This record gives sequence, C-alpha cells and structure tokens, in this order.
Amino acid sequence: MTKRNPYAGIVSGGGFGLAPLSEHDFRQIHLATLEVLEKTGLFIESTEALDLYSDGGCIVDRATRTVRFPPHVVEDAIASAPESIALYGRGNAAHDVVLEPGRVGFTNFSEGLRIVDPRNGERRDSTKQDLADIARMADYLSEIDTFGVAVGAHDAPVRTAAIHNAEAQLLNTTKPVDAGPIDGKDVRDIAAMAAALVGGEDELRARPILFMGACPVSPLKIPAEACEIIIECARAGLADNILSMAMSGASSPVTVAGTLVVHNAEVLAGLVLAQLAERGAPVIYGSSTTAMDMRLATASVGSPECGIISACVAYIAKQYRLPSFVAGA
Amino acid sequence: MTESGVTFDPAQFVLDNEYARLIKFAVRGVAVNDQTLLVDDIIAVGAHKDYLSLDSTLARMREPSTSQILDRRVREDWEADGGHEVNVKARAKALEILESHQPAPVDPDALAQVRAIVDTADRERGG
Repeated sequence: MTKRNPYAGIVSGGGFGLAPLSEHDFRQIHLATLEVLEKTGLFIESTEALDLYSDGGCIVDRATRTVRFPPHVVEDAIASAPESIALYGRGNAAHDVVLEPGRVGFTNFSEGLRIVDPRNGERRDSTKQDLADIARMADYLSEIDTFGVAVGAHDAPVRTAAIHNAEAQLLNTTKPVDAGPIDGKDVRDIAAMAAALVGGEDELRARPILFMGACPVSPLKIPAEACEIIIECARAGLADNILSMAMSGASSPVTVAGTLVVHNAEVLAGLVLAQLAERGAPVIYGSSTTAMDMRLATASVGSPECGIISACVAYIAKQYRLPSFVAGA
Repeated sequence: MTESGVTFDPAQFVLDNEYARLIKFAVRGVAVNDQTLLVDDIIAVGAHKDYLSLDSTLARMREPSTSQILDRRVREDWEADGGHEVNVKARAKALEILESHQPAPVDPDALAQVRAIVDTADRERGG
C-alpha cells in the first residue's frame, strides 16, 4: 500500500447546510432591527418589566407602556446570553443534550389541540393521558432530544392546564422537557415540580431537566404573562425559549426580510428583559413565524415560507451566538 | 403534526423520527481523507472485480444509512410481505412503543411532592 503522509494544517470542509442569508444581509437585518427598537420600541405590558428596562438603560414611557432600546443595551444583552445551553435527562445521562448554534437536533411540534388515536384512528380532543403517552414515545424515539407539550390536557382545569401538562411531561419521559407555562406562577410551580424530581432547587439550577417558552405577540408587543415567564425563568436559571409567531402579511410585513426585522425586534426585546432580570440568563432564540396564506387567510405552517424563515432565523441566531429553536410542521 | 399544528398524529411522530435520523446523517457531510478516498482499493479492484468483501467495506459496513419504517425493498418483496403502506407501519410502531416502553419510574417521595404541587394549584386557582 502506498504511503500517504498526513497533510499538515489542513482545513477540512464537509457537512450539508443552507446559507439563506449573506453576512451583508444579516447586517442589514440587524441594523434595521436596532433602528426599529430605538425609534418605535415595543409595547411592554408588565410593570415589573418596565422597571427592569428602565433600570437597565432603556427609555420607558410608562403612560403608553412603550420601551425604546438604545443599541448598546441590545448589543450588551446579546453578548451576555450564553452560547451553549446544557439540558439534562432526569436520572438518565444518555438523555443529556447540549444546545449550541449550528448543532441540529429535533423535537416535537407543540401545543396541539387534538390527536389521531393510534388505537382506532379516531381524531378527537386530546387528554392528559394522551400527553403522557406521547411523552413515553418521545422517551423511546432516538432523534427526539427534548419533549414539548405535544397536545394539551383538555380534561384538566383551564387555569392549571399548564401545570397538569408539565406533570404529564416530567413523569413520563426522562428526556429534558420543554414546558409551556401561561404565566409567572406557572413557572414557579413547574420549576418546583422539577426541583422535587432532582432533589432540590440548587440541583435543578446546576443540572436543569427542563426549559420553558415565552411568546411575544406580533407586532411588537410582550404581554404581561410572557414578561413574567421571561423574568421568572431568568431568576430560576432555567433556559427560556423566546419565540415569536409573526404571520407575514398579517402581523408582520408581507416580505420575509421585513418579517425577520419584526421577529428579531420582538425576540431581542425579550432577550434584553431576560438579561436585565439576571445577567447571563440562558435564552433560546425561537421562531414559529410563518406566512399567511393570502387566499385562505390561514397560517401556512409547513410552507416554503415557514422553511425559509426558519432557516433565516437559525442563521441570525448563529450570528448572535445563540442556540435557536425553529418551527417545522 | 397535521392541520397546521392542530392535530398530533403518533404515527407521524414515528415517521418524523425516521426523517430526523436520515437528515442528521446527511448534514454530517462527507469526510475526505486517505482513509475515505481508498485510492489503493480502487486501483486494486480495477474494472472487473467488486468491493463487497474488501476489509475497508467490512470495517465500515455499519456506517451507511438504514431505514426502519421507510421500506427500501423491491416492490415484489414488499407486496409479498403484505404490502403495508408506510402510515400503517408507522402506526403499528407507535402502538408497539405505547404498549411496551416505560421510562424509569419516579421516586415515590418525589412523585408525592409533584402531586401536591398540582393539587395545590388546582385548589387555589383551578376552579
């Protein structure tokens, strides 16, 4: 066999991926976002959040609950959020997972209302038992890294459904859980449940077995409940997936570029709040943004626009050195 | 998820897991080095032999992608085996998981604490 000596100092390529935006495209989107955040800002419903923004150097108009963001405050927040987030399996190291920009993992689609019963093919409203059953599937399926609220527990009381959902998730999979709190009280209760399972709050903070999600409302609003979730997660040391759900042509501009600016402004405003609540708080850059079907006036999930926007969002988050979480279908 | 995120289908969940596994196979990309170029093998095999029993093939025989739910057999073999469509196979797999898989149980004390948190929340604001 011929002797083939090693190359010194090589750079090896490899790997398939998408390059949906150029670096110049990204800079334009970033600067447009900073301009919107500085000139228009966001409607922030929570008084506690307004206090944090004000103390953190933002310009707060309490009468209109508008927060405007000096660019340096936004840049500081982006820089202080961690690039790497570790999540842990409940008593099962095989289910530990690291979230970092560029690493591609998968999870389930969340917050369904109905289920196709695999036993008889019937389509019906989902129950807490369904969520527990799907959690066991997620525990088994090799490529599912974290488990979100696949379907809601419609048989639980409406005001505590989020806690029942979290119970069904936490008890029926040892994979990290993506919980769906409705407000700050839910965050505290769900975190307490997780802490009970791992032996205490300190253990949960050191080795979190769950993260949560908070959704701004497009265009350019963060409701009080979402503010509470962001603040409580930051204080508990739990990663928060700040996930906007703009619909281009309806709640954001009809163009993908303009939609990305609105989306980015909302997520970054949430990111700033998390960093002001607790500097260094882990934040996931989220997106369920898609296009509106202009003929049907429905959100086209699973459309090319959804894929394009998700690819762009992942690219933007990567530029910010943040883990991202984007919608599929 | 079907209907733009309204309805969850466990059979689709099984299929999505398969797609995810294959996507992850693809995004890893192509390693290019002397151990993968295999120039000596290519020269040795030439035009009239095959690669089936080479050491390099045997050593890496578990590396290529495989399917578990998607069916790669020729049509005749698939038909002889019942000709089950992919959604039927996926649903059967979903049922198999639901009937057989139990994650590690939770410590009874921790379980009681979790239950107490849910019960308290229901009492205080569940009504």
